[in-house]
Amino acid sequence: MKVFVPTPLRSYTGQQACVEAQGATVGELLADLNRRYPGMRFRMIDEQDTVRPHIRIFVNAEQVRDLGAPLGPADEVQILQALSGG
Amino acid sequence: MGEDLDEKRSKTLTAPAWATGADGLPAVSREELLRYGRHLILPEVGLRGQRRLKASSVLVVGAGGLGSPLALYLAAAGVGRIGIVDFDRVDESNLQRQVLYGVSSLGRTKLEAAEARLADLNPHVQVEVHAARLTSANALDLLRRYDVVADGTDNFPTRYLVNDACVLLGKPNVYGSIFRFEGQASVFDTRRGPCYRCLYPQPPPPGLVPSCAEGGVLGVLPGVIGLIQGVEILKLLLDLGETLIGRLLLFDALAMRFREVRLDKDPACPICGEQPTIHELIDYEAFCGLTPASAAADAEAFEIEPRELAAALERGEGRLIDVREPHEYEIAHIEGARLIPLGRLTERLGELDSSEEIVLHCHTGERSMRALKLLRQSGFRKLKNLRGGIDAWSREVDPEVPRY
Repeated sequence: MKVFVPTPLRSYTGQQACVEAQGATVGELLADLNRRYPGMRFRMIDEQDTVRPHIRIFVNAEQVRDLGAPLGPADEVQILQALSGG
Repeated sequence: MGEDLDEKRSKTLTAPAWATGADGLPAVSREELLRYGRHLILPEVGLRGQRRLKASSVLVVGAGGLGSPLALYLAAAGVGRIGIVDFDRVDESNLQRQVLYGVSSLGRTKLEAAEARLADLNPHVQVEVHAARLTSANALDLLRRYDVVADGTDNFPTRYLVNDACVLLGKPNVYGSIFRFEGQASVFDTRRGPCYRCLYPQPPPPGLVPSCAEGGVLGVLPGVIGLIQGVEILKLLLDLGETLIGRLLLFDALAMRFREVRLDKDPACPICGEQPTIHELIDYEAFCGLTPASAAADAEAFEIEPRELAAALERGEGRLIDVREPHEYEIAHIEGARLIPLGRLTERLGELDSSEEIVLHCHTGERSMRALKLLRQSGFRKLKNLRGGIDAWSREVDPEVPRY
């Protein structure tokens, strides 16, 4: 499925804004992203397996907080990071 | 005397309300009718809407990339009272995107320059300048005097401060932020939707995300996002259309794609949730992990002054490492520096000798401080960070090195 990556995390994806990854849940998807782009998961998820407070994950424009949330192959995932520039 | 009064009275009776303000909305002049003609013929705005704009007030926090186009268009649109908070001066590097200013503004305070430009653009609006850093001590008094607040700041502490003050005062916070080619915009109004904390409960740890000064920003991007804020402000003031309340708009300039996600109020939000724990403004530097005294002291302990470094290099001491990117090195570099971009430092640690004193530098000192922390974690002890980066080196040691 398509995953949209925020600018600050694009150093992991070779500057790609949109990448492909797989998983039946959000947690699996993040694990797959980490296989493809080592180190990326830790920037989004902390040691307690919760989404870091400056990172948000949306599936089809709805926010998900639970890594167990199910995903389908046609879903679109948007990862967000807080930006401060003005 | 009596005749004069009679004459005045009869004029008031016959003149339309738009010319007298007898209906409670501000009067407008014939000049203003001409100026706002394109608004007046829009049924959604009309004369009544235009006079509502004249009766409205907006506070623009930050007169930089976002605040510049925003202030210009708010003034042009005829928003009656525009407040601007800023404490900076105009420099060359602002002109790539901060369209309020020109060459004649260089060195002046942004507020002085903005006041002159906006007065020239539209003398029918009142511009109030507040030469101050927005703080927990002054924010409530300042924001209270405006109908809508626009967040055009460039740092996390002020963004949380603006949010919290707006929540406590029950004001809409029209939000925009930018980085490189990406922008985000929303309207936070806790009377009708979520706040900034519902979206991002905490900022990223300090130093994790480079600022626009270190990471760069496409000059046109703040124009796009600042004017999305502008559109939302006019809609709020005129009670028109569908605003971004409860929605976050994402803009990717490279893909030229707008996306949108839904934002919900977080019942556990510490300031607008069901059981709020924040009832007054807090210390936002501390909240953002920037505890100024200790962090600054910590950073200072590792800093080396440009002149000190010049003397050390002269004596053949110290190994200078430039952690910027190759395209920056091409613009300007310090003779003898070795380029190891921050992102590749971990894999190239083997090239460094921990018995040597290593001096790190970047553009302004931010990235090299992160590099220093990384090297410390890897066991390096003899480390220094060039204060102010190559920019300070050019100003204080070698003016032949171009600034950018």
